[in-house]
Amino acid sequence: MLRTEEMLLNVGPQHPSTHGVFRLILKIDGETIKEAKPVIGYLHRGTEKLAEDLQYTQIIPYTDRMDYVSAMTNNYVICHAVETMMGIEVPERAEFLRVMAMELGRVSSHLLWWGTFVLDLGATSPLLYAFREREMILNLLNELSGARLTFNYMRVGGVKWDAPEGWVDKVREFIPHMREQIKGYHDLVTGNEIFLNRVKGIGKYTKEDALNYSLSGPNLRCTGVKWDLRKNEPYSIYDRFNFDVPVREEGDVLSRYHVRFAEIEEALKILEQCVEQFPEEGPILAKVPKIIKAPKGEAFVRIESPRGEIGCYIASDGKKEPYRLKFRRPSFYNLQILPKLLEGESISNLIAILGAVDIILGEVDG
Amino acid sequence: MIEGLLHDQASLLNFVIFFVLAAVLLLVILGFVTYAILAERKVMGFMQMRYGPNQVGGPWGLLQTVADVLKLLLKEDTIPKLADKPLFILAPVIAFAPSFMVVATIPFTDKLQFADIGVGLLYYIAVSGLTTIGVVMAGWSSNNKFALLGGMRAAAQMISYEIPLVMSVLGVILLTGSLNLNEIVAAQENVWYILLQPIGFIVFFIASVAELNRIPFDLPEAENELIAGYFVEYSGFRWAFFMLSEYVYMFAMASLTTVLFLGGWLPLFSFLDFIPGAVWFALKFSLVIFILLWFRSTFPRIKADQLMEFGWKVLLPVALANIFLTAIIKELL
Amino acid sequence: MLGFGLAKGLKYTLKNLTKEKPTYDYPNKPIPLPDRFRGIQKFYPEKCIVCNQCANICPTDCIQLTGKKHPDPTKKGKVIDTYDINFEICILCDLCTEVCPTEAIVMTNNFELAEYSRDELFKNLEWLDENDENVRKVNKA
Repeated sequence: MLRTEEMLLNVGPQHPSTHGVFRLILKIDGETIKEAKPVIGYLHRGTEKLAEDLQYTQIIPYTDRMDYVSAMTNNYVICHAVETMMGIEVPERAEFLRVMAMELGRVSSHLLWWGTFVLDLGATSPLLYAFREREMILNLLNELSGARLTFNYMRVGGVKWDAPEGWVDKVREFIPHMREQIKGYHDLVTGNEIFLNRVKGIGKYTKEDALNYSLSGPNLRCTGVKWDLRKNEPYSIYDRFNFDVPVREEGDVLSRYHVRFAEIEEALKILEQCVEQFPEEGPILAKVPKIIKAPKGEAFVRIESPRGEIGCYIASDGKKEPYRLKFRRPSFYNLQILPKLLEGESISNLIAILGAVDIILGEVDG
Repeated sequence: MIEGLLHDQASLLNFVIFFVLAAVLLLVILGFVTYAILAERKVMGFMQMRYGPNQVGGPWGLLQTVADVLKLLLKEDTIPKLADKPLFILAPVIAFAPSFMVVATIPFTDKLQFADIGVGLLYYIAVSGLTTIGVVMAGWSSNNKFALLGGMRAAAQMISYEIPLVMSVLGVILLTGSLNLNEIVAAQENVWYILLQPIGFIVFFIASVAELNRIPFDLPEAENELIAGYFVEYSGFRWAFFMLSEYVYMFAMASLTTVLFLGGWLPLFSFLDFIPGAVWFALKFSLVIFILLWFRSTFPRIKADQLMEFGWKVLLPVALANIFLTAIIKELL
Repeated sequence: MLGFGLAKGLKYTLKNLTKEKPTYDYPNKPIPLPDRFRGIQKFYPEKCIVCNQCANICPTDCIQLTGKKHPDPTKKGKVIDTYDINFEICILCDLCTEVCPTEAIVMTNNFELAEYSRDELFKNLEWLDENDENVRKVNKA
């Protein structure tokens, strides 16, 4: 007698499209997913617990390793939290450097996402093209901070290094180059019918779902919620810049793709204004005590990382180490909707949906 | 010469001659595969703004594939404990043998051909279908879920694209009135079939890419979904056999495209016929191969259900319409 | 139109076929790095005043050092006796060079640390002293 059987399929922890050590236990019928169960924690390093024994300056290099694709935003969130607690005014020049570093990081992060996402869909070339431009950004950040990924660039009260000579001009030259390349990317992938067929209408969720699952970043904005902390709760000097918050209504994978590309454009706009308004002179580090002690109390700050809202909560009892440190890691929250999205999809769609969430396992596992 | 040998009395000498000829052809094809892989890596590399292999064998990496094959030979041959052992061992052989068999019938020039079979085209399509069995065997016997999914995908894809492939060449057969590949080439003396059969050519080319399991139709191996598909459990030389059969099919399919639609060994213009036919064949053949590599470095992978839909709902009706159209035109002219 | 997007993509890849390659010929030619690049530390034993700040600030606790009394009895203070960095866990975060009051420990542009044994990643004072190529010129902002 003919009968069909459900099959358990382990996707990961070692699998080419999970971008790290992420595991999905799939219950499949043929190629249709009946149930998906994500298993995380393979990259857990206990950053939050480790931080309880570390001085605030020492925590900064650890945050580099959470969201290792855009470490600048992580640097910023911890510094910003401590600065908020201590009431430190950050010098203007330092803020400009921070914003430029963060926006460059955003562009490089979205580029990497684009390359790997399309690679997951089977096209190998876009990854290399994305890396060509990402390499330029990494070189810029390398010149600025002395490292290509784990920058450890920001300090409580400012930044470690001033911009090297000619750096701002290099950023200025980079902006039109990047704009030119984006056109090529659209030629290569965005108009491709095979690509469109794979992403259009896949992995749809509504505004309500997105809010209920606490999604943020492009994963939220693709459903039509215009929420960007850089606009809604301006931190740093973002209120000085003129930029849009790209929003799409559809809520599918393609809309997330478009939102991210539009965000690259917006980041370039911010960079352009940064370069124009960059102050000639000025200190890059506020007057901070040699040993940083956050006053007794607690603080929570949140900023917009390329993946969504990254938050940092510090509870301090007045010592030089935090009593408790907690990061709201956007990838982790964005991942929660995955089981719901995957139900009833096929395995080829799984790759597109998982890729479009844009998770960084270092951040998911903390 | 081969014609004469075929009609000769069977003798030990004849057997030795045939054996040597087959060995020579195998060596030629292995040489092609070696450099096709290199060409693939080089072309893809250059399109992706990098150089590709450039360490082993000079700046062009001429010995890279040789080194890779040596490595594969030295690798441990693993067979999963719970695999179906006889099938597991047999599968690469069954997948590879037909790929080599089909090459025999390809006319490289009007003289250089190993078997001038009256139904050459039919032979090609029939024998190449056998590879599917090897692939499904590999997928099943590995006792691996990813391999099974890959094997199933491969079976579904290869069978459904075989049909438009056959249907698309029917137009060529109608125009020639023969299944013999030599006669098909000879009939393109004045004008190539790519001009007379443009729809047929497009359908044939798409279906042939699908038959070759290459991007955008490489679903059975879909690295990012199924890791490696049906040969996920294979290693060392058994794995190399799957790869080999894939590239030999690429050789055969590109040759067949050249023969059916690009005029085989015939020159582009008749005044250029001082250039030997073999060169013309090689040029056209290289062009087809280049297009395959070009596709690979540009396109993403199509989705499994869309693949089936495309095959049955688009390609097949178009191919059928093409047959009717050809028949009507032929009747009118 | 169907296939138009595909053709655009094909055009883009074909155009890139002949473009100049942005790759580095890395192991054959050294990679150009900015002066600020954080590589393996260089240690100047004569400058060290054994203040222990580097060992204290290190987020991964990879620096171990001991001092001894100054051999010249007329001088106060200590001189360095042993200084080890464990490059298995060092994350090259630059904090040790940042706190060093005498710039006794500075970064270099060397980053190649591959070894056949984990023990060899344990670099001592002599090794770090001899690591004096491509030393960073500007160490403090």
